[in-house]
Amino acid sequence: MIEVRDLTKEYPGKTAVDGVSFTISRGETAGLLGANGAGKSTIMNMIAGYTAMTAGTVRVDGLDILEEPTAVRKKIGYLPELPPLYMDMTVEEYLSFVYDLKKCRTNRAEDIRQACGALSIADVRRRMIRHLSKGYRQRVGFAQALIGNPDVLIFDEPTVGLDPKQIIEIRKVIRSLAKKHTIILSSHILSEVQSVCDRILVMDQGRLVADDSAENLSGRVGGAKKICLRVSGREEEIRRTLLGVNGVAAVKAEGSREPEISDFIVTVENGQSDGAVRMLMTKSLAEQGMYVAEMRSESMNLEDVFLKLTSGKGKKAGGRTEKIAGKAEEGK
Amino acid sequence: MKAVWKRDLTAYFNSPVGCVFLFAFATIMNLCFYVFNVLGASSQISNLFSIMLFLLILITPFLTMRLFSEEYKLRTDQLLLTSPTDVWEIVLGKFLAAFCVFALALALTLVWVIVIGLFGVLSPGAVAGNYAAILCAAAAFISVGMLVSSLTENQIIAAVGTLAVFLGLFALSAAAESSLSPVMGTVLSWFSLFARHQRFLLGIFSLSDILYYISFTGVMLFLTSRVLEKKRWA
Repeated sequence: MIEVRDLTKEYPGKTAVDGVSFTISRGETAGLLGANGAGKSTIMNMIAGYTAMTAGTVRVDGLDILEEPTAVRKKIGYLPELPPLYMDMTVEEYLSFVYDLKKCRTNRAEDIRQACGALSIADVRRRMIRHLSKGYRQRVGFAQALIGNPDVLIFDEPTVGLDPKQIIEIRKVIRSLAKKHTIILSSHILSEVQSVCDRILVMDQGRLVADDSAENLSGRVGGAKKICLRVSGREEEIRRTLLGVNGVAAVKAEGSREPEISDFIVTVENGQSDGAVRMLMTKSLAEQGMYVAEMRSESMNLEDVFLKLTSGKGKKAGGRTEKIAGKAEEGK
Repeated sequence: MKAVWKRDLTAYFNSPVGCVFLFAFATIMNLCFYVFNVLGASSQISNLFSIMLFLLILITPFLTMRLFSEEYKLRTDQLLLTSPTDVWEIVLGKFLAAFCVFALALALTLVWVIVIGLFGVLSPGAVAGNYAAILCAAAAFISVGMLVSSLTENQIIAAVGTLAVFLGLFALSAAAESSLSPVMGTVLSWFSLFARHQRFLLGIFSLSDILYYISFTGVMLFLTSRVLEKKRWA
């Protein structure tokens, strides 16, 4: 649905986006993740047609944005970081204006009613936008993106500045929209991207440094698998038993939080399945009369993954960025 | 285009700008009419249009300063420029909104025609010529103000900048008249919005001057749309 190839944006003295390529399929929800200034908003502005690229191409549903800008813009609903609202209009007047601006051919009243319904703003339709709270203004911004029922929705930092309750509500709205639309959203909040997106595209200094699902990113970047273990028994005996299990590379004692229960972190040998190792450990410990109180795989959390990817370790000597194998690579 | 026109026209009257403009224009011009025509017992209205032209220099920046500057400041230009509406439609819609406010203000002066028609000697040709000329001049002034507004997100800078351009154009008119070189005089007079208006005040209806104002306005609107496109490519 969205095909971005070698997208580059240069400003005097700065390359904001440097040769970014990715493809987003119809119905997919992708999250652009990166620190402030990583180039997320610039990419979104280029896809939405607000900013022109220095090099590269953007195609939406097969249409090139430079060759057929009007047709592409009809397919996109865009919510910039700061919702583009006219404070001197009521919600209804504003959405009606957006309907005209987008040159919609659908039923105006029905279109506005649906957008208001999806964002739960029907009760404030006749209120002036300047009298609405920040949360409601954000919803009106979402509603304008939905007018005309575009195939693609682009949300730039959709929950920035909202309180936790509003954030949860907005995420719920995005998840409900994901069923019918192709969505790109940007955020610097990892949990947000993780909670609503199928895919995560990690940006760093204008480059795409990773493109994969949250689960795969943790797995690929996380290094050796680790298992957290809490076992009843004496620490030294448990340690000896665990080291005897096939597939265990190392065992680190973590002390004891409860009487007669010792905590450990077990490192699994490379190439071994942590599931198999867990079963073998359980069996060996039980045979020795020791019982497992708790066991869980410890995958690298997304914060760690993000910091690792954006700390410069992913860059090759030539300055290009190493991509974590994913859909961007498959698309080539 | 209609969407932008409607939105901007409404915005003038949702804020004090439109009402203050109408009030200031109507008060000053009707006061002039009362002094020159009622107290002076004169049917001549050319002097009123001469005053109106200079009043336009002062109040047009007030009318045009927000056209694009406010959009940049509120970031609503992102909504306009990512919509399927073309840039020229946005520019034309905004121009027509400002022009309609001026036309509305001018319509308030039609009472002069009624009063002179009832109590004086009305010259329909001169009246029509003056109204046509002031409408054309206002279109040119508004297009200049809109161009300046498209260059900055600060409304005060837009207003002061527009005023500075008008004063510059006025200086060009004076320079054109006093130029010793005929060639230089011709070149300068091409930029002179004011000198061309003088002919209408003398009762001469010049089609070439009307076309000049329309062309000048067209060039300013084109430049405004280029400014918007250039922002996209910056």
